[in-house]
Amino acid sequence: MELRNNRKMNRRDRLLSLTTTAVFLFLLFLADRFGSDYETRILINCAIFIGLAVSYNLINGVTGQFSLAPNAFAAIGAYTSALLTMTPLEKELSFIVKPLIWPLSVIHAPFIISLLIAGLVTAFMAFLMGFPVFRVRGDYLAIVTLGFGEVVRVVANNAQSITNGPLGLKGIVNYTDMAWSWGFAVITVFLIYRLVQSSYGLALKAIRYDETASEAVGVDTFRHKMLAFTVSAFFGGVGGGILAHFITTISPNLFTFFLTFNLLIIIVIGGLGSTTGAVIAAFMVTLGGELLRVVEEPLFIGGLHIPGIPGMRMVIFSLILILVMIFARHGIMGSQEFSWRWAIEKVESFRRPKGGDA
Amino acid sequence: MKAKNIFLALAGLAVAAALVVFILPKKEADIVEIGVFLPMTGGVASYGQMGWAGIKTANKLEPTVLGKKVELILVDEKSDKIEAANAVSRLIKKEKVVALIGTSTSGNTMAGAAIAEEAKVPVVSPTATDPRVTQNRKYIFRVCFIDPFQGVVAAKYAYENLKARKAALLMDQAQDYCVDLANFFKQEFISLGGVITASTFCQSGDQDFTAQLSSIAATKPDILYMPNYYTEDALVCKQAAELGLKIPILSADGAHAPELISIGGNAVEGFTFTGHFAKDGATTELAKKYIQAYEATYKTEASGFDALGADAYFVLIDAIRRAKSLEGPKIRDALASTKDFPGVSGVMSIGEDGNARKGMVLLQVKNGKFTYLTTINP
Repeated sequence: MELRNNRKMNRRDRLLSLTTTAVFLFLLFLADRFGSDYETRILINCAIFIGLAVSYNLINGVTGQFSLAPNAFAAIGAYTSALLTMTPLEKELSFIVKPLIWPLSVIHAPFIISLLIAGLVTAFMAFLMGFPVFRVRGDYLAIVTLGFGEVVRVVANNAQSITNGPLGLKGIVNYTDMAWSWGFAVITVFLIYRLVQSSYGLALKAIRYDETASEAVGVDTFRHKMLAFTVSAFFGGVGGGILAHFITTISPNLFTFFLTFNLLIIIVIGGLGSTTGAVIAAFMVTLGGELLRVVEEPLFIGGLHIPGIPGMRMVIFSLILILVMIFARHGIMGSQEFSWRWAIEKVESFRRPKGGDA
Repeated sequence: MKAKNIFLALAGLAVAAALVVFILPKKEADIVEIGVFLPMTGGVASYGQMGWAGIKTANKLEPTVLGKKVELILVDEKSDKIEAANAVSRLIKKEKVVALIGTSTSGNTMAGAAIAEEAKVPVVSPTATDPRVTQNRKYIFRVCFIDPFQGVVAAKYAYENLKARKAALLMDQAQDYCVDLANFFKQEFISLGGVITASTFCQSGDQDFTAQLSSIAATKPDILYMPNYYTEDALVCKQAAELGLKIPILSADGAHAPELISIGGNAVEGFTFTGHFAKDGATTELAKKYIQAYEATYKTEASGFDALGADAYFVLIDAIRRAKSLEGPKIRDALASTKDFPGVSGVMSIGEDGNARKGMVLLQVKNGKFTYLTTINP
């Protein structure tokens, strides 16, 4: 009885999810058709950060492993895909200090293939790093991954015949549009959500709550941590590729620790371990940053003239962060996910405030 | 639950505030809006702030064009590429500015260039010196000279005036600008008949340069060329003096900041560099007016970054005046035919390639002050 009920509910939930996704994508399509370039830019930015944050959340939030390497993953992905899609002619023009090494200098791949390769290369790097990294726990992991981020940046600065050093890559084709970026975001959210809901996801959550205990009940913690880390890196790499084809110029400076820091803020505000939270917070942070520009513009309130103060939005942003940490210590969503059941119950409880039979 | 409610309320407030500002009518008919995107915060904020001060001063000196009041709209790009692109997009699409001034660094100018190019809105950059900024772009201009010219001039000066035959290089490889300059210097110096004895590298933020300096000293060069930023330059000079390395040191416009002298002290005496602007070398009428206005407002000496900010503004206003129109393509054509414009940093002409042809000044630190040596014309 219970089981059949559940199955019915699942079918209903799936239908609801599909419809909302379709409606949302349709709205995005409308925004793309009728919105200005500025608006679509911001929306694309949102999509990229949603993808990056959700994949980062898999290792940091869901599995509870404090990794600080998403900037490194994005960098590897960005460089890989950019080197693959740039035409040989463009590469020759760009690499003025040292020529690009041979196989890379002639390769020219379509965008989608470059993104997949970027993801795979990044995942492979994460896989290699996983062996030493998951020998350590807790703070040590953070230090190792932080170090890895620096290593990647220094390599990008110095391996001039591959990355063009500090000059970076310029003239990358602007492939990333609404479809690519939101396609990436939706696919990432969907796959990671499914992974978290699966039995692998349960094991990952178990590791977060108590690594020793989960080992005791037979969870292969090393394998599961590896899985979360490589999957997270894969999407981080693809996200980096999308980002590179969005800004069309990349240099090692783009992938400093600040990128990691931004993503960390996003997943902490959203609630560590909550995919829904990561999506909401990515929206808030990227959109909010633009909306808050208002406070930096000169304002006329009545007869009062307030000159714009550059940097003001960072102050307000920090205040909001502090407020979130005071009033919602576990982030907006905590470790909860959005579910239709919850939403429907909410709506029903509004309709029947006296708390009927439900 | 309570926390969530507060949060929702906050989010609601933010949305309401945004709506109010978006809807507020504010356009007046008799103003010309010029967008300015500069790094007002972040890593290179000081360049942005100096540039903005210069632009504001220039705006005060020449507040109208075509009988309309010029209004500047500043958007901070946070020394960040993504933000720079967003800023350009916002200024063009939302504020609907007629032209743009910005930004201080080459990479970030390039990040915004594609958007402006597509929208046919001209951009004048004050200090983006990378040659690739204007390459294959019709709407991107600059009022500074480009890196190759600076490297070439430095090489010629070293070879011909200082009679140096052996040069060593020390470049900050975290900055594309430094690496670029060093490479152009190297090419020119070698083609003149000189030899590069050592190519050494450092990173922005380094404190200790003794390893590089020792290896440079071992090759006995006649001159050290290090086109880096002022902090590194000052520290290198100090440590070179301590090591007893007594060769002339040549640098570039990144060294032109008062901090060079305050950090370097006695060690930077005789330090020579190529730059955009020297107060004593400024000859035009506009420069005199500008320096007076700038120093009256800000109580500090006018320097390269603010002077170029002002020049970006003056050149743009001049172009709008000659175009007699506020349409992007017409302003663009006027900018591309700027000829012998007497700006703050010198007389300049801008061609179809978007680059300014103008003189470069040579400065030297003497008695704890930047002194003007000479102007080198292309």
